[in-house]
Amino acid sequence: MKPKLIIGIIAIVGFTSLLMYNFGNSISTYVNFEQAADMNSAHVVGTWDDSRDYGFSMESKQFTFYMKDEAGNVRRVVYPKSKPNNFEQADRLVVIGKIEGEVFYADEMLMKCPSKYNNADGAQFEKANVGNS
Amino acid sequence: MIKFYGEFFINAAFLCAILATIGYFLYAQNDKDRYFKISNWLFGLQGLFLLAASGLLLHIILTHQFNFYYVYNYTSDDLQLKYLISAFWGGQEGSFMLWVLFSTLIGFGLMRWTRKAYRGPVLFFLTLTQIFLLSMVSGISFGDFTLGASPFRSLAEAMPNAPFLQSNPDFVPQNGKGLNDLLKSPWMMIHPPILFVGFSMMTVPYCFAMAALWKRKYNEWVNPALPWTLGANVALLTAIFLGGYWAYVTLSFGGYWAWDPVENASFVPWLLGTAGIHTMIIQRKSSTSQKASIIFAILAYVAIVYETFLTRSGILSDASVHSFVDLGLYSQLVVFMLAVTGIGLGLFFYRYKELPKQKNDSRFLSREFMTFAGAMMLFLIGLVIILGTSSPIIGRLFTENPTPPEVSFYNEWTMPMAMVAAILTVLGQYLFWKKQDGESLAEDLTLPVALTCIITLASIIIGDVRNIYYMVYLLTAWFALVGNAVIMIRLIRQNPMLIGGALSHIGFAVLLLGILASSAYNEHLLDRTTQQYNEAIRSGNVTDEQGFQKTQTVNFLELKLNEPKVVNDKYRVTYEGYTLKNQERPGQQQYRIKFEPADGEGSQFVLNPQVYPMLSSSSAQNIEWSVDPDVRTGMLSDIYLYVSGSSYVQQKNEQAKERARQVRQQTEPAAAGMLDSTKVQKIELAQGETASVGSFDITLKSYSQETEDAPQDSTIIAVRANVEITQRGSDSSTSVYPLFSIYQKNGKNWSYAPPTGIPGHNGTVQFSSVNPSTGKVELTIRGVDKEVKEQWVLLVAEEKPFISVVWLGTFLLMGGFSISIFRHWGRERKKS
Repeated sequence: MKPKLIIGIIAIVGFTSLLMYNFGNSISTYVNFEQAADMNSAHVVGTWDDSRDYGFSMESKQFTFYMKDEAGNVRRVVYPKSKPNNFEQADRLVVIGKIEGEVFYADEMLMKCPSKYNNADGAQFEKANVGNS
Repeated sequence: MIKFYGEFFINAAFLCAILATIGYFLYAQNDKDRYFKISNWLFGLQGLFLLAASGLLLHIILTHQFNFYYVYNYTSDDLQLKYLISAFWGGQEGSFMLWVLFSTLIGFGLMRWTRKAYRGPVLFFLTLTQIFLLSMVSGISFGDFTLGASPFRSLAEAMPNAPFLQSNPDFVPQNGKGLNDLLKSPWMMIHPPILFVGFSMMTVPYCFAMAALWKRKYNEWVNPALPWTLGANVALLTAIFLGGYWAYVTLSFGGYWAWDPVENASFVPWLLGTAGIHTMIIQRKSSTSQKASIIFAILAYVAIVYETFLTRSGILSDASVHSFVDLGLYSQLVVFMLAVTGIGLGLFFYRYKELPKQKNDSRFLSREFMTFAGAMMLFLIGLVIILGTSSPIIGRLFTENPTPPEVSFYNEWTMPMAMVAAILTVLGQYLFWKKQDGESLAEDLTLPVALTCIITLASIIIGDVRNIYYMVYLLTAWFALVGNAVIMIRLIRQNPMLIGGALSHIGFAVLLLGILASSAYNEHLLDRTTQQYNEAIRSGNVTDEQGFQKTQTVNFLELKLNEPKVVNDKYRVTYEGYTLKNQERPGQQQYRIKFEPADGEGSQFVLNPQVYPMLSSSSAQNIEWSVDPDVRTGMLSDIYLYVSGSSYVQQKNEQAKERARQVRQQTEPAAAGMLDSTKVQKIELAQGETASVGSFDITLKSYSQETEDAPQDSTIIAVRANVEITQRGSDSSTSVYPLFSIYQKNGKNWSYAPPTGIPGHNGTVQFSSVNPSTGKVELTIRGVDKEVKEQWVLLVAEEKPFISVVWLGTFLLMGGFSISIFRHWGRERKKS
């Protein structure tokens, strides 16, 4: 075989494996609060626990609420932006961030809103668009 | 009737497309002009049917026929004409129709201009793609299977499980759900159509590449295909730019690019198309890279279909802001994708052995090698982005239920490759116009390299750049800018039509500089106290009310009415109130935020961010607010801000909560008489005077004797006052006209002065007496808080430097590509 071809193959294999390795590291899976313990950017799926206090505090400038994950753990979630505009309507939430102690610090939030009347599972996530507190 | 005709027209068009495809196939095989003519007629007929169907769709949208699901789902009575028209492509079905419409127009162009050897197969492949697209809106049922989703389907067909339709299948809603508030933007008028122009033009290189493989004419096809590919590129780039600009100025995501799958969906085909343009150009010049040109032309269109699949099959609904919901087109989209890819790559590998081979390898320092390497870089960038966008599918190799990749994945991979590409642009351009060896090239590059070093050093010092990676990045971007500028200046002297490539490369370099500067120097505008607070958070000294250590910094700017704050030592910012006038959207507030330079030098300016209730998802008991940022565009930096909360919004929310509570408890609103007595306040005003009560300013404009219909027969005197009430901070006021009268009953004088409600607020105004000696009027205000409720606004404000540079880079790219279109198109026309 020609040396050029060998170099080419090595380059392609090297590039692809590095890319896939890096890609594999940069994605994660949706988890619950307990699994999120050691993760830096955990995606936790759950529902809003509306039995407890929630709201935007003008003092700390944070939106806080309690979320119940799919395993049933309830944690306080702190989100440093104002309340997303369709927060109350969402039937599922995804918070992205990290947990410290008993508090989950979310950097981003996704809301899955029920789409009415669609017989199929026509639900749709919406990125936390800025709403008002 | 309309339903019948609409579905008929679409399916007639569908049938014509099938017949035309067969016709073009026969023509391509037999080369008999008769087949070509018949197919052209069929193709034209298909266009007519489609036009008729589109007209009907527009008609039912404009006439609000809510018995159609499409109309119900995307429009409402109150929608302005421009948004009614954009509702045509607001949903999947209509956007497929728009796509085919543009594709048909392009078909006419191809019919007219394509030379004989290629036109049969080219039109065959074009109509083939149209069959697939039309099948998405056909709506024909075969037993349980429905082909596509017709825009003319009725409510009952679309939502068989909806409760209101089960009780009455013929029910027609009074009003539709309306267009999503975020789509009610002038950009919605223009962004999607241009995108579909790009999509349909990108079909052309695919068709030509396939025609080349079919007819075994591997060289000449690039000449006619090149202008089309360039055109597709300009259209896609324009659409990407419009999308980015739209996201930036009217959505609150805070930037122009977020690696969202839908953004990527238009970017990857652009990258692959651009890679194709590069290989086509060298193929034209020196008969190399035939394989690469064909493969890129195929892949660019495959990328379009693949990204269409990703965004429309519902597969990304967990990951994207604005992907569509699955309409049941999943399997059809898969078939479309497999067909386009399978036919494309299948034919390519079938012919692979006879494709022209390169005799000897290109030298390293040759335009062929450099341009090809540049194309490969673009291709690899596209590959990385496809990989990231495909995370819901490919990510399953690594984990179940994968999340989208972090944004850093995209940045860390694409930026280094873009840097390599930046260097290649200069080397490629220097070798493109002149055959060079290492020595002469080095000599030619001395000046640009020297200039680059000086400018890079200067920008590192001025910009206080400390990151090595940024320094290298700057070096490559400046090198691309300077190198290509030198080439361009030389070319302008020869023939200005030749500068397309150099100009595009300059645009690319400017874009790189803009991307770095705008993302690395983005700053929140904060006052001194908040900045110190954030410092404390960063050093871990702050705990929140429950004793948890705070880690997230505060990025809000809170302003009280007319109390200026100095932010970032640069601006003095004042909240000057809001207006409810000139509402584009019902319930919209427009805030006045004044910026003055902190040191007093320079001009001041006012930003007007808006807040409005999302009508489609708000109710009287729960208002969902959305925001419209305002941006001040500057040469060097933009000021971007939106209102995250305000006292007005808070008050409205509390009122809504109160209403919700009342609904829950089924109680009457608190009667006026039950109002807390502490909230009763009396003021005395002379005509023209103003007094403050709570957060209201109350002005007695005038009072006059009531002559018409006196309230009581025995009235002695009746006076009506004209009182203007303004909530502080707002420039809109309401007027109330309370009455004061004295009448006689049983020989005694009685006064009658009913309290008048303040519109839009709780509380009443009563004209309680007139002081005869001073002529002053006494007003009794009830139900208004005595303590002044402070008017405030909570802002997220950012200074975004060099966004204009990003736009400039984009415009230069568009300009460069456009010049190339003219050049290649002109040459093609001369030949024929």
